[in-house]
Amino acid sequence: MIRFFASRCASSLLILGCSVSMFGQFPGRGGPPQPPPTPRAAARIDITGYWVSLVTEDWRYRQFTPPKGDYESVPISQAGKKVADAWEPAKDEAAGEQCKAFGAAGLMRMPTHLHITWQDDRTLKLETDAGTQTRTFHFGPPQGAGGDWQGISSASWDYPRPAIQTGFGGIDFGFTPPPPPGGSLKVVTTKLRPGYLRKNGVPYGSNTVLTEYFDRFDIPGGDTFLLVLSEVIDPEYLAQPFWTSTHFKKQNDASGWNPTPCTSR
Amino acid sequence: MKLIHGILPVFAAFGLSAVLYGQGRPAPAFDVDFTGYWTPALHEDGLERGNGPEIADYGGFALNDAGRLFALSYDPSRLTLRHHQCDAYVMPYQMRAVGNFRLWEERDPHTQQLVAIDVWAQTTEGHRVVWMDGRPHPPAWAPHSFAGFSTGQFVGNALMIYTTHLKQGWLRRNGSPESDQATVTEFIVRHGDHLSDTTIVTDPVYLSEPEVRSNDYVRQPGDHHVWLYACDDGEEITGRAPDAVPNYPFGKQPFAKEYSERYKLPFVASLSGADSIYPGFAAKIKNATDADALAKLQPVPNQPAQTSRATNPEPHDGEIHVLPIRENIYMLVGDGGNIVVQTGDQGAFLVDAGEGKLSDKVIAAIRGLSQRPIQFIANTSIHAEHVGGNSKLGAAGSDPSLPGSFFDLQSPGRATGLLSDPAHHATLMAQNNVVVRLEAAKAAADMIPADTYLEERRRKFHNGELIELFYEPNAVTDGDSIVHFRKSDVIATGDVFTTTQYPFIDLKNGGSVQGEIKALNDILSRTGYEHEEQGGTYIVPGHGYLCDEHEVLEYRDMVVIVRDRVQAMIKAGATLDQVKAANLTVDYDTRYGTNSGPWTTAMFIEAVYTSLKQPPARVAASK
Repeated sequence: MIRFFASRCASSLLILGCSVSMFGQFPGRGGPPQPPPTPRAAARIDITGYWVSLVTEDWRYRQFTPPKGDYESVPISQAGKKVADAWEPAKDEAAGEQCKAFGAAGLMRMPTHLHITWQDDRTLKLETDAGTQTRTFHFGPPQGAGGDWQGISSASWDYPRPAIQTGFGGIDFGFTPPPPPGGSLKVVTTKLRPGYLRKNGVPYGSNTVLTEYFDRFDIPGGDTFLLVLSEVIDPEYLAQPFWTSTHFKKQNDASGWNPTPCTSR
Repeated sequence: MKLIHGILPVFAAFGLSAVLYGQGRPAPAFDVDFTGYWTPALHEDGLERGNGPEIADYGGFALNDAGRLFALSYDPSRLTLRHHQCDAYVMPYQMRAVGNFRLWEERDPHTQQLVAIDVWAQTTEGHRVVWMDGRPHPPAWAPHSFAGFSTGQFVGNALMIYTTHLKQGWLRRNGSPESDQATVTEFIVRHGDHLSDTTIVTDPVYLSEPEVRSNDYVRQPGDHHVWLYACDDGEEITGRAPDAVPNYPFGKQPFAKEYSERYKLPFVASLSGADSIYPGFAAKIKNATDADALAKLQPVPNQPAQTSRATNPEPHDGEIHVLPIRENIYMLVGDGGNIVVQTGDQGAFLVDAGEGKLSDKVIAAIRGLSQRPIQFIANTSIHAEHVGGNSKLGAAGSDPSLPGSFFDLQSPGRATGLLSDPAHHATLMAQNNVVVRLEAAKAAADMIPADTYLEERRRKFHNGELIELFYEPNAVTDGDSIVHFRKSDVIATGDVFTTTQYPFIDLKNGGSVQGEIKALNDILSRTGYEHEEQGGTYIVPGHGYLCDEHEVLEYRDMVVIVRDRVQAMIKAGATLDQVKAANLTVDYDTRYGTNSGPWTTAMFIEAVYTSLKQPPARVAASK
C-alpha cells in the first residue's frame, strides 16, 4: 500500500511538474531564443524630458545658503559636525572646489532644471542647469574610475516582485501575478569625490553610497511629477542613513533652462 | 487509503487547471503590500515638523494673497480657545506629522477582495480609510472630516489616492491654511523597507498652484504600542470674553520679520508664494527691499474683491436629495435652504420648509421616509428659502393633537395659521418676530406660523426626544431660532450658519453682527465633539453641507475677526467707504465672497459696519 501511494504521489508530482514546466516554456515556444531587450526598450517608466525642481521642502536650505553650522534635519555624525563647523566658502573657491555642493549626493536638492535623455540604449544622461552638471546612469556593471563629483552610477529597473514564486510550497500554480506595469529607476552611485549635502558645508565622504529611486507620477488630466527618493549612507560623516525625497514637475520644453556655473556661497 | 487514492488525481488536475487558468484569463494585478508599522524619517523640515514652524515661514508654499494674509493674521493663541484645543490635523499635514503609523488592509471575508487600506496615525489618533472597492465619493453636501474621503487604486507600483471632503486646517503649523475645498492626490510607493507618500494638494481658496510634498517612512519590525493621543479641552485662559478670537490686524503681525532676520533671508523671501518654489528665486528677489515685503503684510486697498472659488454644495438639479444624519433625522437638500426631517410614530417634525419651488418633491421625499403626517414645521427665520414651502408642506400635513383640544374648541381659526380646519394642516412654529415680519410683508395666511414663542426657548417633546427652539435675537434677523434635537444631537441653525456665504445679516429685519456672533457662540455652547474636534453633534446649516462644530467654529472665528477689523477702523474714524475700500475680508473672499447676487461682500461689510455703529436696541441694552 505504501508503494502504491508513493507511486501515485510521484506520478501526480510529475504531472504537476510538467504543467509548471510547460507553463514556464510557453512564452518562448515555437522560435529561437530572443536576446533580452535593451534597457531602453525595457524601460518601465519614461523619465526623459525637461523637469523643473519644486523646492517645497527644506526650503531655506535649498533656495539660500544656510548659515554655517546649520545642519538641522541631517543625521550628521560628530566627525561631520566638525567638518561642517569649519566650512569656509572662500577656501573652496581658492581650491577651485566651488562644485562641492553640486556632487551627486547634493545635486538633486539644488533648485534646478533637469534634462534627461538616453545617451545610448544602455545609458541615461541627466543634466542640470544648476552648476551645469551631467550624471550618467549606466545599466549593467559600473563603468569608469569615478572620483569626480558625480561618481559612478549603476542603473536598473526596479519593480515589486516576489522573492519566491507564490503558491503551495513555493510551486507556482499560476497564482503569481505579473509584476505591475510601472516601476522605478534605481540608481546606485559610488566612488564620489567628497562634497556637500548642503551648500553650507555639511559633508559627505568618498565612501558614500548614494541609492536613488526615480518614480514618475501622472495625475489623470493634470501634471506629471518625478520623485527622486535618495538614501545617502556615509560611514564617515553620517550617523545613520539620510533620506530625502525631491520633486520635479514635467515641462513641455526647455523653458527656463539656464546653465549656471557652480557657486560655493 | 481510498481517500488518498482519490485525492491525488484531483490534486494533479488542480495543478493543470491552475496552469490553464493562468493562460486563459489575465492574472490579478500585483497589488503592492503597504501594511505594517512605519516611522517617519524627519530628514526634511525636521524643525518645522518637530518643534514647530516659525511665524511667517511660508517659503516653498504656493500661498495666494488670501492664504498669506490668513496666515499672517493667525495668532497661535487661537489654540487656547476651548473648541480649538483638540483640533486634529488635516490629512496632508497628518501624513507629515511626527509619530508612528500603522497600515492595514480590510478584506471582504467572503471574497477576500481588497475593500480598504486603513492608516492610523499616532499623533491626533488620525484614522484614514482609503476605499479600494471603487465606491464613489459622497455628494457635495456630505460632511467633511480631517481625514477626508479617500479612494485608491494601484497604478503601476504606486498606490494612487484621491481625497475630498476635508475640513479646514493647516498645511503648516503656523497658520498656513488649507481650506475645506482642498483636494489631495497622493502617490505611495514602497522600496524595500522604505515608504514614500507624495501629497499633491490642490486648494482653489488658498493656493495658486498645487502644493507637492512627500513624506518618507521606515518600516518597523513590530508594534511599539504607542498609538493614543488623548485630548479633552479645558480652561486655558479664564475670564476671556466669549467673542474673543486671537488674531493680528493686517500689517500688525509683530513676528513677521523674525524668521527672515534669524536666518538672514531677504524679508520678502518667505512671503513670495509660488515664486519661492522655483529655480532662480534667490536671484529674482536679490534687489527686493523691505518695502516689497511690507506691502505683502496687508491687503492692497481699492482692489475689486475676490470671489469664492468654493464648490457650491447645493445640487441645483431640480431634485430633492435625502442625506441620513442620525437614526430618524434626515437632511433634505435641493429646494433653497436645507430642511431637517425627524420621523417617528407621532408624525414628521420639520425644521424649515425650503423655498417652495420643489415642495411637491419635498413632500414625496418625506413620504419616502415616513407615511406619518408632517405634524410640525419650525421656521428658523423669515427668509424665503426657509418659509417658502410653508403653505404646501403645511397643507400636506396634519396635526392630530389639535382636535378636541382646548385651543381648538375656543378658537379653531387661530390654532394653526388662520386655517378653518387646523387638524388638517401641520402646525407652524417660530419665534414671534417671524409672524410679525411675515404679517407685515402680507404673506399668505397659511404660511404664517401660529405656534410662537417670545423669549429664550420653546420646548417640544416629539417622537421620543426633546426638541428645543432657542431664540437668537438680532442675528441674521430679529426672529432667528436654532433647533436642537437633543437625543439625536443634531442642531439646525438656519442662516445663522451656512457654508456658502458670509452671514446674511439682514439689517432691515433686525439682524446685527453682534447677535450673529452671539448666535454662533450659542451653537458652540451646545455642541460636543466625538473625537479630536470632529463628529459628535451634527450641524445642519441653513445652506451648504452637513457639518459638525468645527465648521461653526471656523465660521465664528471669521465673523469675529472681520468684526474686529471693522471695529478697529471705526475707532480710527473711518467712513463706510473707507472700510469697504480696505479689503478687510481679503483672506475669506476666495471662500465666501461674491460681487453679485442678493448678498455681496460689500453688503456684508456694510452690515457689519452699520450694526457696529448703530446696534439694535436689544444689543445696545445688553452692553
